[in-house]
Amino acid sequence: MSELIEHLMATPLAAVALTLAAYFAGDRLFRALRAPAWCPPILVAALLLAAALWLLGIDYADYQAGAGWLMLLLGPATVALGLPLYQQMGHIRALWRPLLLCLPIAAGMAALYAVGIAWLLGAPPEILASLAPKSVTAPIAIGITERLGGSVALMMGGLLVTGVAAIGSVGLVARWLGIRDERLLGLALGINGHALGTVRAFEIGPTAGAFASLGMSLTGILTALLLPLAWRLPGLVG
Amino acid sequence: MPALRGFLWLIGFLLIGDALVTLAGLPVSAGVAGMLLLTAWLVLHGGGFDAIAAAARPLIAALALLIMPGVVGIFFMLDELAGQLVAILAALLLGTLLSVLTTLWLMRRLVGDDDASTREATHE
Repeated sequence: MSELIEHLMATPLAAVALTLAAYFAGDRLFRALRAPAWCPPILVAALLLAAALWLLGIDYADYQAGAGWLMLLLGPATVALGLPLYQQMGHIRALWRPLLLCLPIAAGMAALYAVGIAWLLGAPPEILASLAPKSVTAPIAIGITERLGGSVALMMGGLLVTGVAAIGSVGLVARWLGIRDERLLGLALGINGHALGTVRAFEIGPTAGAFASLGMSLTGILTALLLPLAWRLPGLVG
Repeated sequence: MPALRGFLWLIGFLLIGDALVTLAGLPVSAGVAGMLLLTAWLVLHGGGFDAIAAAARPLIAALALLIMPGVVGIFFMLDELAGQLVAILAALLLGTLLSVLTTLWLMRRLVGDDDASTREATHE
């Protein structure tokens, strides 16, 4: 049995099939259980996938080598976000002034709160470096974490938790503050919840989706530019 | 095959972005550079992006699927993180709630809660 699994895992196809199967099964289960909106299907799917790998005795490194083919598509998918961005250019032009002021603060806060809380609770520098890019979309965040000296695996896990937390928090806070404006909801989802938040924003509507793409990409760019600089400030890591 | 032709466009912008980022030594990822290039190109050319849309829409819909392989890794390093799990979860959950609160509050002050957009939003 284990030899057969080893043979099948020699090509990326088995890993890709496992990922797709877990994704659709997670989606199905999500619908069947009528899960609330704060629990995205991806969380269910990730748990299913982890359980399947564990049950089949597949080494995570072997799985990742094959599934890397799927992650390769993250590049073109990030480029694809330029389309909704273009389609909402009118909205963005009308708001460029508040956006210019707001985005750096919001993107900075997304990193600062998490690093601050972890630092107060005594987390070591390696963990702080892995948590700092938690609100940044995966392809950019990988680069940032490597530069800061964090663990990419922990950072990716942090992305999942952050995405789920951002979707839940936006729902909660929006209801609390009485905000229904799609532009604000989209921006908050994109800035704080990266790709997972953006997927959720497209479910709310195309305007929210476009603003989430905008928030996600600008957060990514700003964090990639500023975080490595901020990291050198004394006292933060020490 | 408009979707495949669009896919070629997307990869093309990604590769140009990669080349620019590498040559200029920018700290941005190739994907983001490609995305900004695509946006700029669409602004300059206006319409005629049916092929790009045919490739872009399914890819955007699959974003969550595409990060799954990386995300699952966390379940295999829980042992290593045992002592730090509380700090990590508190930072992620509380940190995200606080930053969402800050973002929405700040945005509403600066952008305003537009009635027209709210009306648009209600017929989802």
